[in-house]
Formats: sequence, C-alpha cells, structure tokens
Amino acid sequence: METSGRVEQYKLDNGLRLVTAPASTGQVASVNLWYGVGSRHEVPGRTGFAHLFEHLMFQGSGNVTKGEHFDVVERLGGDINASTSTDRTNYYETVPTHALDSVLWLEADRLATLREGMTQEVLDNQRDVVKNERRQRYDNQPYGTALERILRLAYPEGHPYHHSTIGSMADLDAADLDYVKSFHKAHYGPDNCVLTIVSDLESADVLARVEKYFGAIPARDFIPETPDPTLRAPLGGPVRDSVTETVPAAGVFIGFRVPAYGEREHDVAQLAAAVLGQGQGSRLYRSLVVDRPIAADDGGGSADILPFRYTDSLLLVNMLAREGVAGDVLEQAIREEVAKLTSGITDEELDRARAVLEREHLHSIASPSGLADSIGSCTQLLGDPELAYTWPERWADVTAEEVRAAAERLLVDDNMLVVRFDPESETAAETLQVEAEADAAANAPQG
Amino acid sequence: MQQTRPDLGAPASFTFPKPQRVSVGGGTVVAIDVPGQQLASLRLVHPFGGAVEPLDAMGVSALTSEALEDGPDGNSSLAPALERYGAEWISRVNWDGFITGLDAPTSRLGDAVRLFADAVRRPALTADDVVRRREQLLERFWLDASSASTLAMRSLGGQLFTGRYATPLAGGPVKLADITPETVARFHADSIASVAGTLVVVGDLANVDLEELGRIVFGDAAPTPERQVSAPAPPPGELPRVLIVDRPGSVQSALVIAHRAPSRSQVDLPRAEGVSDVLGGMFTSRLNMELRERLGYTYGAGSRFDLRRDSGVFFMSTQVEAGTTAHSVTSSLEQINKLRDGGVTEDELASVRESNTVGLPVTYSTARAMAGALVDMVVHDLPDDYVDRNRAGYEKLTAEDLNGAAVEYLRPEEAVAVVVGDADTLREPLAKTGVGPVEVRSPESLWS
Repeated sequence: METSGRVEQYKLDNGLRLVTAPASTGQVASVNLWYGVGSRHEVPGRTGFAHLFEHLMFQGSGNVTKGEHFDVVERLGGDINASTSTDRTNYYETVPTHALDSVLWLEADRLATLREGMTQEVLDNQRDVVKNERRQRYDNQPYGTALERILRLAYPEGHPYHHSTIGSMADLDAADLDYVKSFHKAHYGPDNCVLTIVSDLESADVLARVEKYFGAIPARDFIPETPDPTLRAPLGGPVRDSVTETVPAAGVFIGFRVPAYGEREHDVAQLAAAVLGQGQGSRLYRSLVVDRPIAADDGGGSADILPFRYTDSLLLVNMLAREGVAGDVLEQAIREEVAKLTSGITDEELDRARAVLEREHLHSIASPSGLADSIGSCTQLLGDPELAYTWPERWADVTAEEVRAAAERLLVDDNMLVVRFDPESETAAETLQVEAEADAAANAPQG
Repeated sequence: MQQTRPDLGAPASFTFPKPQRVSVGGGTVVAIDVPGQQLASLRLVHPFGGAVEPLDAMGVSALTSEALEDGPDGNSSLAPALERYGAEWISRVNWDGFITGLDAPTSRLGDAVRLFADAVRRPALTADDVVRRREQLLERFWLDASSASTLAMRSLGGQLFTGRYATPLAGGPVKLADITPETVARFHADSIASVAGTLVVVGDLANVDLEELGRIVFGDAAPTPERQVSAPAPPPGELPRVLIVDRPGSVQSALVIAHRAPSRSQVDLPRAEGVSDVLGGMFTSRLNMELRERLGYTYGAGSRFDLRRDSGVFFMSTQVEAGTTAHSVTSSLEQINKLRDGGVTEDELASVRESNTVGLPVTYSTARAMAGALVDMVVHDLPDDYVDRNRAGYEKLTAEDLNGAAVEYLRPEEAVAVVVGDADTLREPLAKTGVGPVEVRSPESLWS
C-alpha cells in the first residue's frame, strides 16, 4: 500500500493508538474515539448493554457532572454524539481548534474515571431513555423490527451477531450498576481505543496533547474473552420470517451472507449490491420502480451491505410494494432480478457502480468528522488508516466476471433469508371473508 | 494521575468567506473557493417554492421537482447518466425555493454541468413519466405518514393556516392527484426553464471557470422576477387546543406543540433563535433535560422556528412513551411558561452566545454547509456578510434581549398540540389536562 503521508500514526505506552490527519477547512478539530467493543461482546441476558453503556458515558465521570460533557461541546457550537454497532462503539466531537484540549480532557476523564461518576439514578434514567429509543426506532415504526428479524435468521442462536445492538426490553431491565462498572473495566481501556484527530495542527503538537491527557491512564489488566463469531454451518436457506402487522404496504427484505468486511470478496459483493440496487441506474430501480412498476420509489437505495468485520456480512435488499401489488409478486420479482446477476453484468454497469460507490465514499470523508470516523474505522478494523483515502481503489480492478462469479456463489437460495411484512387489514379481512364463506358452505344444509 | 481540567484558550476570530459574484446573462453565479475540497456543491436557486402555488395546483412544484429526474430523454434517465460522472442530482422544493443542483467531484464538474443544465432547462416531461411520478408521490405520502412523527408534522399546517400552508408541501394525498402533465409543463416553462435563477458553487475552484458555468446554466433565460408576499390567515378554532390524530395501538405518541410566528424578515434572528436554543435547540436545553434526562419519557425533545418569507411557525416536538403523553404535553407547556415568566439564566445566555459565535468554523466545515448558507442568502435576499452580521448579533445579546424574546416569540396561549397516537387511550387524559378542547381525527380525514 502506498503511503502518501497524509496521516501520522502513533502508539502510546498504554496501547492507545493515535492517528492524526489534516482538515480541509481551518479552525476545526474533529476528535473520534473507536473503542473495540460492540454488541458482539454481549452475553445472553445482557443484550443491548454495549449501547446502553454508550449512553451512560455521557452521564458524568469522576470530574464531570451529568450533562456537562454535552454542555461544554454544545456551547462551543460543536458537534457531539456517539454510536454503537456490533463491532465497535465510537464517540466523537468536532469543535473549534482552541477547544481541542478541553475535549481531550473530557474524553480522558470518562475513560479513566467513569466508574466514579456512575449512580443508580442515572442508570435508571438512561434505561428509560434507551427503551424509548427502542420504541421510536423499532416498535412504533412500520418495518421497525426488520433488522432484528434479519439477524435472527442470518446467525444461529448463541452467535454474537444473532441479536441487534438495541437489545431486548427484558435485558435492558436487568442491567445493574455492578455490571455497568465491570463492563467499563473490561472494555474501556486505552489499549482498546483508536483516537483519531483531524485538524490543522501539527501532528507533533497533537501527539503532545494526547500524551498529556491520556498517557497516564493504565491499560486494562485483563482482556475479556470475545464470544466466538465462527459460523459452523451454511445458512441452509431459504429461511424466512413472515409477519402480518400494521404496515402501509407489503415489505420485502432479502438477505445473503457474504464475506466479512475487509476481504476482497466483500468488495466484490459491494459492487454486486451497487449494480443491483444503488442509484437510479441500478437494476432493481430500472426494472421494478420504472419499468413494471411494482415497487415504491426509494430513489435508488434498495440494496446495500451490512458490514461485519468478524463474521460474514449481509447483503440486504429491501423494497416496498406499490398499492395493489401483493407481497408475493414483489418478492418473486426481486428474486428474479437477483438471480439474473449470475448471467453476468456489463462493463458499463460496473463503471456506474464504481462511480456511485466512489461518490458515496468521497461524501463520507468530505467533512472533518466524517474523515476522522473513516480513519478510525480503517485503523481499528483493518490496521491501515490510509485506506480512508484510498478505499475506492479496492474496486478499481474488480472485473465484471468476478461480480458474476460472486453472485453465482453467494446470491443463491440456500444462502438466502427472507423477512416479509404484509399489511394486516386487507389480508385479515380477506382471510376472514374466505373463512366465513368456507364455514357457510360447510354448514349449508345438505340436499 | 488525571490532569486538571484545561482552560479554554481564546477562540480564533472567524469570518465567513466572502463569496465571488459573477453576472452572466440573466443570472448570477455566487461562489466560494475551498482549496482541497474535492467534492463541489452546485445549487441553482429559483426563489419560488410551494408558497406561491395557486390553490388549484398545490404540489405542482414538488411533482415538477421529481419529474426533472426523468431527464432530457425521459424515463428516469437523468440520475443514471449523472451517476457515470460520479455526480449526485439534487432537487428539492421548500416553501420559498425551488432548488436543483449537483454534488460532483471537481474533476468531472464541466461534463456534469452540461448535463445538469439540459436537465433543468430542457427536460422531456413526458405525460407517462409525470403520471408515474405523481402516482409514486401519492403512494409515498402514506408510506411516509405511517411514521408517527412525519404524520404529526404534516398535520400541523391545517391547524395554523388557511390557504396554501394548510396543505402539505407536496400537495397532500388529494390535491396532488389533480395535477396533470400539462400543469407541470406549464409551471416548468413559466417558472423554471425561462427564469435564470442564481447559481451557487462551492468547492476547489482552481480549475473551474465560473463565467463558463454561468453561460451553460443560464443560457438565454430571463432575470428572476420579484416575488410578492402576503401573510396567510389562521383557521378558525379556539386556542390553545389539542388535536389527536388517531394511530391505534401506538406504543409511543408523536407530539408537536406549535404556534404561528412572524416571517423571517420580521424576526430578530439572534433573539428568536437564541430563546429557542434555550428551550429546545440543544441537547442541554430545558425540554430535553426535563423530558429525557429527568423524566425518561423520550429519546429526545427539541424546538425550533421554521421561518418563511411571509410567515413562520414555532414548534417543539418529541416522541414519548404512550402512557406519559398527557404529562409530556403539560410539562412542555410548563417549560415554555417558566421561560417566559422567569427568563434565562446567565449560564444559558453564555451558552447561546458562545455556541452561535465560536462554533462557526464547525458549522461551515463542508462545501455542502457553505452552499446551504449561500442558498439561504439567495432565497431570503440576505447580504453577503449575513453570517458575520448574525454572529455580531449574538455577540451583543443580553439576558434582557432573550427574556423579551421569550415573551414576544413564544405564545403557548396560541398553541395547537398535535398528538399522533392511540386516540382511545389518549382522549381522556388529554382532556383532563385542561389545555383546551380535544378533537380526534383520522389521518385520512385531514386533507380531503
């Protein structure tokens, strides 16, 4: 891999990895911490805990009161947030450059002393907040439970990717203060963190500041065992989950296991997904939204990859049916389009797919916070920060034949899962009607 | 050993980059050079949005905006053609603007812009395409409205306004059905194709010829005419009041409490937005601290102004666990009243002043964000140094300014609370709050 000198990498004695990179506009510093802990580390009965813990990281630490972290960054006009996935938890702030030290101090304080600030009261409060987050994103949202259903089908019971990051209401209820503290001790050490700083400061200056605030925080004294993500058997598809509930239209979600994020075959699958369903030049859009048209217009975003680093990723296709179109009709049509990929794709389609993916990548690194996030990802998951800049090159030499061959191997029925949502009212009404007629016929007086 | 908390240094002074202006034919190019920014943002602004649509053509702008995506060759051919240049087509309508544009790598900007100009000036707009887009939009309306928060926001217009604003921007599920391909073609010819508009360009402009861009995009189109504005009237009905939009079985309620506000040009922005920041503009604002961080009723609560050329709306919004709906309504109103009665704290004043001044380098750290500011300036006739003037307004803000703004701009006695949730369980507790009369409607009855 060519090194362009765009980034500098350091490792502190306590194991913390620091990456610095220049920002394209002045006077800002983006700070991004990727901790190597996600929902894949959760054990049965504790699902949702990594994410609940992310909330608790904003609730005060040894020298910071509840709400203060947000307050400091917001009054700088900064951006601040965090997110949890299967593979990692990240925390990020973008602030005017003069506030970089403040942010580093806040991050260091919660890394070193969160356990001292934690109380039952904030745990109870944030548990309620997360349960409302679950209601807002999953339970009160049409198709909101799709992802949970997909994961349940894609990975066997007991596998660390079998459950979603939001977790279950019962497990959230079971979280207690001791477990919060032990979770912090087990996963939040400088040796489990990649810190990325995008700014217009010299990297030596940035390093000195990071040394000052993080240098004395000790590494973890033990490293917990990570649940084994090995998949011991193929999917054995097609497997399906059919749901009838209050949704405005039939919804089809189809998934296939594809290689893990970071592998070349993953990049090939990414191109297959783009040919299939990214952009308005994609096959599913042309065929099912424009030509037939039986699917709702999603602007060209019907296929993508849910990337996992430590187990098979999932290529997912999702479309909603037009009014009067049965779920079966849409599902059949999508499966036919997917199957057609095995007959090959044109070079023109491949070029378009590359251009769409490249634009998306450029867009993701166009802001200092996006660049910091991408660097953090490439460093922690793949050990190479430069990939944040050069990622589109990974698609450059993939051939149309490779995409076709990948489709033939991966996008097949025995590697397929289907989650289907069908609206309650019509089906229920129709079924009742049919049953009533059947009953009437059965009860009719005989001759 | 932990370090002691560092002192904040002095912020560097920030000045919004002065845009270059180039007049070409009937139009103007407004541009900011950001060296190193590979992804350029280009926006063509026609300052006519949904607000000026005639009542018998509500939704024509939104439908035209969609239909432009079919391109000069029709049949949804534009986006795929642009995708080959790595360019993303942007087309959106708001109440005051019809905005088209591209985000494209600067290296491919020239080719992409030729295609863009054809798409805006010479689209095919075939009857088949327009009808297909219209049917999709109509269905999309209900797909989107199946989300409780979207339904709540769309229900608001009819509670605060008569005339155009009473119907959602895209025309609603009934009015839009009446728009014909001929109406779209006429609107496009009169308001878009023949009107130059203003072209905003932000990115690394080292190899970009702005005059040439202007020539390609404006062609021989005429200068943009002045727009007349007049404030719309409110609908009848007692205030404050509660509207429940029935969504049976909802485990959460989407809640929007809103009232009318003056227009953008009538509002003293730092005072108005400053007081909204205190109430609900930030994570640490009062509504979020109360409803989320103290009571645990919600994942988040906030407030803001939606200020248009001829009028405005102030609203607070949240989604709360169903059983806490009535208390969430009264708690929210209580927070507004408390702010009006007791005023802001010194700490809140400092927070408003600082976040809107020292944070500007963060706000404008992407080409997209700078382009957004320029579009705002075009739509609302703001001067080039508008960002700096606004910053100066925040710098001199006092507690008295914000306290006065709370009384002037926050009007709970004129509010409508729209609640999207399970009417059977919500009606009684909401009636008991004594906020005002409670009406229950089905979503389907709102836009007949």
